[in-house]
Amino acid sequence: MLIEIDGLELSLHQRLILAGVNLHMQPGDIYGLLGPNGAGKSTTMSVLNGLRQASSGHVSVLEMDPWTQRREVHRQIGVLPEQAGFYDWMNAQDYLRWFAELYDRALAVGEIQLQLAQVGLDAKNADPIGTYSRGMKQRLGLARALLNRPKLLVLDEPTNGLDPRGRREIHDVLLGLTRESGVGVLLCTHLLDDVDRLCTRIGILHQGKTVVEGSLSELLAGGPAAGMRYRLRLLAPPLRTEFAHGIRVVAQEGQWWRLDIGSGTSPQDAWRELLDAGWAVSEIHREGGGLEDLYLNLTTTEAAA
Amino acid sequence: MTSIGLIARKESGELLKSGRGLAWLLALSVILSVFSLLFVSNTELSLLDNAQVVYMVMGTITALGALLAVVLGSDAIAGERERGSLVPLLLTPVSTGDIVFGKMGGQAVAWVVTYFLSLPYLWAVGSSGQNLVEAVVYLALLGTPVVLGFGFFSLGLSARFGNVRAALITALIALMLLASPLLLGPGLRQSTIGKAFDTVNPFSAAVNSFDSVVIDSQPFSMQLGRFAVTLVWLILTLWFAGRSVRTVEI
Amino acid sequence: MKSIPVWLFACLLILAAASARAADPLDISLSAQPSNPATPQMGDHLNFVSAIRNTGQTPAQGIVAWISLVQVDPGHEQPVDLEDWSAHKAVTRAILAPGEQITVAWPMRLIQAGDFRVVISAVERDTPHIITSPFLDFHVRRKPVVESKRVLPVAFGVPGLLGLAMFWRLRRRWSVSQKLDRREK
Repeated sequence: MLIEIDGLELSLHQRLILAGVNLHMQPGDIYGLLGPNGAGKSTTMSVLNGLRQASSGHVSVLEMDPWTQRREVHRQIGVLPEQAGFYDWMNAQDYLRWFAELYDRALAVGEIQLQLAQVGLDAKNADPIGTYSRGMKQRLGLARALLNRPKLLVLDEPTNGLDPRGRREIHDVLLGLTRESGVGVLLCTHLLDDVDRLCTRIGILHQGKTVVEGSLSELLAGGPAAGMRYRLRLLAPPLRTEFAHGIRVVAQEGQWWRLDIGSGTSPQDAWRELLDAGWAVSEIHREGGGLEDLYLNLTTTEAAA
Repeated sequence: MTSIGLIARKESGELLKSGRGLAWLLALSVILSVFSLLFVSNTELSLLDNAQVVYMVMGTITALGALLAVVLGSDAIAGERERGSLVPLLLTPVSTGDIVFGKMGGQAVAWVVTYFLSLPYLWAVGSSGQNLVEAVVYLALLGTPVVLGFGFFSLGLSARFGNVRAALITALIALMLLASPLLLGPGLRQSTIGKAFDTVNPFSAAVNSFDSVVIDSQPFSMQLGRFAVTLVWLILTLWFAGRSVRTVEI
Repeated sequence: MKSIPVWLFACLLILAAASARAADPLDISLSAQPSNPATPQMGDHLNFVSAIRNTGQTPAQGIVAWISLVQVDPGHEQPVDLEDWSAHKAVTRAILAPGEQITVAWPMRLIQAGDFRVVISAVERDTPHIITSPFLDFHVRRKPVVESKRVLPVAFGVPGLLGLAMFWRLRRRWSVSQKLDRREK
């Protein structure tokens, strides 16, 4: 196991911040840790990074206790924190060389340039980091996290500030790492698109608690949000909008109608029933993904309760 | 190189390579220049005895060194935290103790730079007088624990408050208080409270020692008590910084 | 005519003072050391020597002797704070037997230019007034000690060099930002 967290609880200033977090991650997993703001994602990450001590529960990272064996854990993990600050007066090469030395690694110029090129930075750029854009700093942060050839990467919003091409490049880097060297990636993000594209497992936190954890495909197939949402354009108002089961009208705006089709009903059956009900459909669009619904369903206060 | 050395190298690089660090050094040199020019242009001051001038410049250098140490110390933990560069550092396999000692090493380098920057000024105002060599030696001997003590003290405040402004203001108030012997005349310091304060104040110990050695040509044996006061100050502030860093919250 | 009683009274006072002085148990002499520079200037060291002798029949007790310096330039008469002039400002002696003498050296470094008068004063437990040595006058020549030919190059040179370093850095940074602007365009 790369990460094993069971029943993690943490109180800060007499306030319960984490109230039962579970997280299980195997080598090669790309794990998406999701949750609304304040759900406890960053605090969970700080516990597994060894920066905070758990109040109770079991926490193991690379089979070690991150609090008592912090230095050994740090030696084997790479972290991109949410606020990845740098020393603005240094240039990227000097910065990476200096940072690598903290891991007792003496990097040759070629290695540094390779590392920079891997995350899409100009390897020969000698400008101070202070002149970098946010996206460039994000890439440099990723290069820093990869410096010690980690077994586990912990990334907090790694594609923040990147344009679509940049995001795609970072996705490719991460996929390449897990495929080629079995590195596990724990991804903490708000971008469901990132999760959809990268993650094999997810965990959703809400109010300091894990509300769901498991394989992404399994959760989408059998979860509470299983099913699809469609947007239909009608040529004329329908005769009937109430259906016995499986089809539910969610909203209507002019000619556009939104429908949910449950997992127990096949789309073919649904279209037939709609035709029978006098729906003159001119266009059909599939909307959103199951992940978004799953996320929204599980992170509303009522759902969590 | 050890982790402490690596962090100290980074800290000193920040002082010597960053625009901010250079601006501080420039400000220090401008103050010393203005001070020296006053001695030349002002009739009364220009007639001061060499030793007297050297003594005054030594006090000023110590105060400026302490000021720089306070600024750097206040920024050491809280500033890195505010700029987001503390967490990546804490996530390396380097102990918190090594980080603190590295930062202290950076402060020591800052003082060494200030010290060497000030030597031309000492030479300019005092080379034709007495005890210039003693002045250079005693500035290193007593100035170092006083200045580093202020640096460690403000580093401890920086860790405790987690906020540069709060740490800086508190450290500056302490500096103003302890450096008051430079501002107050000898008359005020002769009161019972003044004498008691002088006895335990590391800044007074250094300044009185400068006076004793440079002006009165007194030997080292007479400075042992004062030297001990500055060493106690250094040890206390080191202890305070070490304890405070344990309270750092992410 | 009115001034005659005043004169008489003054003479009486002088006689009384003289007889009191004659009865002083201590005699204090003061002399400059022959090695002192003939025309001292600021920064020079002077040494004065005083001998305190018990000329009475009984032991003198609780003696405290100290050195005083007065500036006597016309229009600038004032006592001098010896703080920076000397670390050796006073001596004490618990008891001085009849006929016994102590010799005290008073080193001094000349801090200020002008005309000065030095005197050694002493008190003894049973003598109700102060006992003083004769005055000794000396002149200190003025010497400008902070020389502009040394100060000016340092005072302008050091900040100048640092300013140049900063300017070079700013220029480099400016050229980098220009390059980035061009790249973005």
